[in-house]
Amino acid sequence: MSTKQLQLKVIVLVLLVLGIGSVWYKNQVLGFSLTPEKQETVWTVESKITFDGDNAPAEVVLSMPENRKDMVVMDVRNIAPGYRFNFVNRDGERYGVWKSNGPVQGRQELFLRGTVYRRNGNSGNNVSPVPQEIVVDNESLRKAAVDFVASLDRSGSIRQRAVHLLQALTNPVNQDAVYLLKEAKVFGGKIKLARYLMRKAGLQASSVRGLFLGERSRKQKLKGYIEVADGDKVLLLNPRSAEVEDADKFLVWQYNDKPVLEVIGGSNSSVTFSTLSSKILASRAAVAAGKHSGNFLVDFSIYSLPVSEQNAFKLLLLIPIGALVIVILRNLVGISTSGTFMPILIALVFLHTTLLIGLALFLVVVSVGLILRSYLSHLNLLLVPRISAVLVFVIFIYVAIAVISHKIGLSAGLQITFFPMIIISWTIERMSVLWEEEGPKDVLVQGGGSLLSASLIYLVMQNRYVGHIAYSFPEILLVLLAIIIIIGSYSGYRLTELYRFEPMIKDK
Amino acid sequence: MFTTPSKLRKAGIVGMNWRNVRMIAQYNPRRLYPQVDDKLKTKLLLAKANLSAPELLGVVKTQGNVRELEEFLADCGPFVIKPANGSGGKGILVIAGRDGGKFVKPSGSGIDIAEVRKHASSIISGLYSLGGRSDVAMIEEMVQFSDAFDGFSFQGVPDIRIIVYKGYPVMAMTRLSTRASDGKANLHQGAVGLGIDIGTGRALKAVQNGRPLTHHPDTGKELATFDVPQWNDFVLQASMCYEITTMGYLGVDLVLDKEKGPQILELNARPGLAIQIANDMGLLPRFEVVDAQDGIERTAAERTVFARQQFVA
Ligand SMILES: Nc1ncnc2c1ncn2[C@@H]1O[C@H](COP(=O)(O)OP(=O)(O)O)[C@@H](O)[C@H]1O
Ligand SMILES: [Mg+2]
Repeated sequence: MSTKQLQLKVIVLVLLVLGIGSVWYKNQVLGFSLTPEKQETVWTVESKITFDGDNAPAEVVLSMPENRKDMVVMDVRNIAPGYRFNFVNRDGERYGVWKSNGPVQGRQELFLRGTVYRRNGNSGNNVSPVPQEIVVDNESLRKAAVDFVASLDRSGSIRQRAVHLLQALTNPVNQDAVYLLKEAKVFGGKIKLARYLMRKAGLQASSVRGLFLGERSRKQKLKGYIEVADGDKVLLLNPRSAEVEDADKFLVWQYNDKPVLEVIGGSNSSVTFSTLSSKILASRAAVAAGKHSGNFLVDFSIYSLPVSEQNAFKLLLLIPIGALVIVILRNLVGISTSGTFMPILIALVFLHTTLLIGLALFLVVVSVGLILRSYLSHLNLLLVPRISAVLVFVIFIYVAIAVISHKIGLSAGLQITFFPMIIISWTIERMSVLWEEEGPKDVLVQGGGSLLSASLIYLVMQNRYVGHIAYSFPEILLVLLAIIIIIGSYSGYRLTELYRFEPMIKDK
Repeated sequence: MFTTPSKLRKAGIVGMNWRNVRMIAQYNPRRLYPQVDDKLKTKLLLAKANLSAPELLGVVKTQGNVRELEEFLADCGPFVIKPANGSGGKGILVIAGRDGGKFVKPSGSGIDIAEVRKHASSIISGLYSLGGRSDVAMIEEMVQFSDAFDGFSFQGVPDIRIIVYKGYPVMAMTRLSTRASDGKANLHQGAVGLGIDIGTGRALKAVQNGRPLTHHPDTGKELATFDVPQWNDFVLQASMCYEITTMGYLGVDLVLDKEKGPQILELNARPGLAIQIANDMGLLPRFEVVDAQDGIERTAAERTVFARQQFVA
């Protein structure tokens, strides 16, 4: 007895910890929103590669933006007929590779479309990794760099120092700066020169190439920026204007020094980017993002299913919630229903028909069915033929309701077909047996109880919050299970018993 | 209109959840259910233990058996055909006697063998069983009801329900049909619930629709005069059912035969809670008295003596 109770408590505890824990994890770490409103901005980024074919098989290699902690790239899709496309990894970096199916000639256009999403609340805090720093052989350049850095003001915040360095570098009266800029090629370009100087000045800097994700922008080119670590934040500096830019809207495409685009078997190649922002539900974004990181909790969400399957599963996930309502109504309140889970099925119908129309249709079908069924009673049919006969009646009633309501212009009547005929037939059968055995009062009590339960379940199921939680956090089912187990072992009084046994209480 | 849980607890009233979780789930293991849910199994069990119940005359299991009915019934006394898996009095055909080729019902109307056959046939095809499952028809001796309870019931003869907890009879009642209950012995339909004192077998309180009453609403009989003859036999038979079923929470239904005394009609693994209303008393204090006896080995007779001493108004 006590070991059984202990077992029960342990099971309940484990279920609660698992359920609540994974909801918490998905909410806090994976960015699933607990409320349905929350929307995230996602950007559709399209890269357009153009080149002229050299009448030879072409191979195009485009470096891919990296998933970083804050920015997540999801759903990359390739649109380029006549080419085979796949992703390859080289030295731990990702590239998209197109290979033409044969020799290509003339202007070629390849598109790659991806969706980018900024993970909620997780502003990036890592500077991109830096490839091997350039070694400068030229003695006088090295000297100029050292002098340049030495001339800088070393006080102030990192932000101020970084901005100051870039301003000094573009200052035409700074001799060292002018000389260094002139020889910038040695460093691999102006941006890398700036990065070199920043490091010499003791700043943790790296150069990146990327895009600003505007609301709508076309034909952007990748531009070089400098990232500087500032405590747990990252500053994004525009070396051309010596200003700090909004890192939240910046998509880092590349942070190594290799070319973005390589075309073999073509010339005049270029790549441009267009971006388009849109809002999507936070959970949708979190799922797509999580899919990339291969998190099993995300795979366990129905959003990882094809959209066409999702709707069916949404309904499926609502059913246990209906079951919980039934358990509460039966074991805590004490409402009796005709058929344990019939109200859930009726509630599912109400989801299609809306509550009032659903109730009205149900009442019409069942009462007409009961009248017709009463004629069957005299025939003493066995169960299966009897229920089959009721089924035929039910179909007649459906047709009649549909035809009549159509004739009088009430389209609501056509929704009758949402009611599962077998369930309705069984309901009529059970009600009519109840009528014969216990009388009309019991039919009203049980029928009323069933409809009340169905309506309550409907109200819970169609609630946006409930729906959102059920879809996005299926592991809430574990919590549900725990609650059902707790109620199942609850031995206290039911609400209706407070009424039923009230006459036995003397000292009122 | 509503009371509070603490008041119910103080009155020792057992609620549905308590019954299901603390009584049935704990003391009535599922595997034991068939022996009380199937009246045929119960009958064989009772016969083996020599408990008194209407004697089983035969069982109709197949349509082949149905054809043999006429021959079988040819020299039968008054009998009853009922479904082994029936409930609520459904499908019970009582034949009180013969009138030439006719089978005469207690109401006086006669039917012929074809109708008896049809009835048996309906039973085995599942007309009266739960969920329409196929069933068997039992033919048993008709009880010659004692006239001790005449006038207490609007229709039919009342049966006595005794709750047996861990082998101790703890509470008893009878249900008296009324015009309002349409002759049915169902409390929530308006039958009278009459509590019976375990110690004496006499009427305690009577309620109809939750309200106390002193006289039967239709027959006018004074309910306080209800007094069960051979009461000790009733409680003894009931408590003996514990040994044969090993179920800790059992409802035993008995009727009184003119000559053979108390007869067990059926056992119930999920006895209801209305008995508390009929007795105007909660079951919990009585369970506690019995729980205090845990570890003391007693025979059914000793338990009966104990219970009759303890549970007296
Ligand atoms: N052998 C019998 N002789 C006379 N009446 C009987 C007999 N068996 C059953 N009955 C009558 O039928 C009623 C219901 O019988 P019971 O065995 O309790 O079946 P159920 O499970 O359907 O209640 C009894 O209360 C009694 O009035
Ligand atoms: Mg009975």
